[in-house]
Amino acid sequence: RHPLATFFHLFFRGSAIVTYLFCDWFSNSFVACFVTILLLLSFDFWSVKNVTGRLLVGLRWRNQIDEDGKSHWVFEAKEVSTVAASSEVEAQIFWLGLIICPVIWTVFFFSTLFSLKLKWLALVIAGISLQTANLYGYIHCKLGGQKSISRTTSFV
Amino acid sequence: MLLEQGTTLRALEPCARHSLRAPLRSCLLQDEQFADLADMSLSGDITVEGEITVPVGAPSPDEDFSTLDEPVRETIMRDLKAVGKKFVHVMYPKKSSTLLRDWDLWGPLVLCVSLALMLQGGSADSKEDGGPQFAEVFVIIWFGAVVITLNSKLLGGTISFFQSLCVLGYCVLPLTVAMLVCRLVLLAGAGTISFVVRLLVVLAMFAWSTLASTAFLADSQPPNRKALVVYPIFLFYFVISWMILTFTPQ
Repeated sequence: RHPLATFFHLFFRGSAIVTYLFCDWFSNSFVACFVTILLLLSFDFWSVKNVTGRLLVGLRWRNQIDEDGKSHWVFEAKEVSTVAASSEVEAQIFWLGLIICPVIWTVFFFSTLFSLKLKWLALVIAGISLQTANLYGYIHCKLGGQKSISRTTSFV
Repeated sequence: MLLEQGTTLRALEPCARHSLRAPLRSCLLQDEQFADLADMSLSGDITVEGEITVPVGAPSPDEDFSTLDEPVRETIMRDLKAVGKKFVHVMYPKKSSTLLRDWDLWGPLVLCVSLALMLQGGSADSKEDGGPQFAEVFVIIWFGAVVITLNSKLLGGTISFFQSLCVLGYCVLPLTVAMLVCRLVLLAGAGTISFVVRLLVVLAMFAWSTLASTAFLADSQPPNRKALVVYPIFLFYFVISWMILTFTPQ
């Protein structure tokens, strides 16, 4: 039902990983690769958080600040009574993409650390944090746990 | 306000979801204009029937569900407009709490990338392509902002983590403008006059950045802690200004 959203969900994440792996083929410049991957990761974060989550699985998480200045993390889930077959596939693609990519970036983290190519470390850490944030947010939505917000999120 | 049989009705919650069939005088207790009415006692009998459902806590999810269904273009435009509004607010800082409520980190990302690009070594040799310096600017800005935020939280500030990051990131805008001006001045030459011009520009923008961010952040602290919060911000922008001032193209 939402082929464009599914495509973009995987496109930004996939191309960030592919660019990271093959950046030496595309360009000699570290800066160009760094900026490209960072922009891809940011677009991916925004699109997964704001668009593909609500279109593919009907979940949304966000941060809301009320008048007192206190921040609330709001986790929304759409009431879906019937799940059509096509949206089952889309939901599976969504969750697979959401889970596999942070794992891949964690693998990159260790490979960068142990091969001592430390200038990439900042980028890998950024990638891990952005993608893990989305993963964590959506898992929270799925489990419907507004009461079980852990200590870190209430500090934040 | 007294009803029949001496029951006292106190409405303390917002009346968004009252399903009370009686007149809404209980709601009006909240509104200051009608404070006088609340003191009136009624001479006759008024029968009140129905249920009161009083919402507790967060606003009702019904009005927020509209964002789950809005078209994508609207989401993009909304976010872009929010970013633009914040840039304008940095240039003309006014204390505005509504600005802080919708934080986003797009502006800081764009500013960080452009500042890091401009601060690069600029050598044509691909081996020495300024990789470490580029990542260094990123790390300094983001790590510095995180440390300042942690400092202000530990001092008991009421502002949230991401709001503070947002403000600090956006207030790098004047320094980015200073960097642009410095690069243009350096194109003309690298003598004493250009140094003096650059120094003045950087000083002015540093003061602007610090004042802008202090205008937003110092309010969230108790009064005797303001200086403790302001000085790390001062240091942070000082380090960035130093990097800008001491930049010389190869």
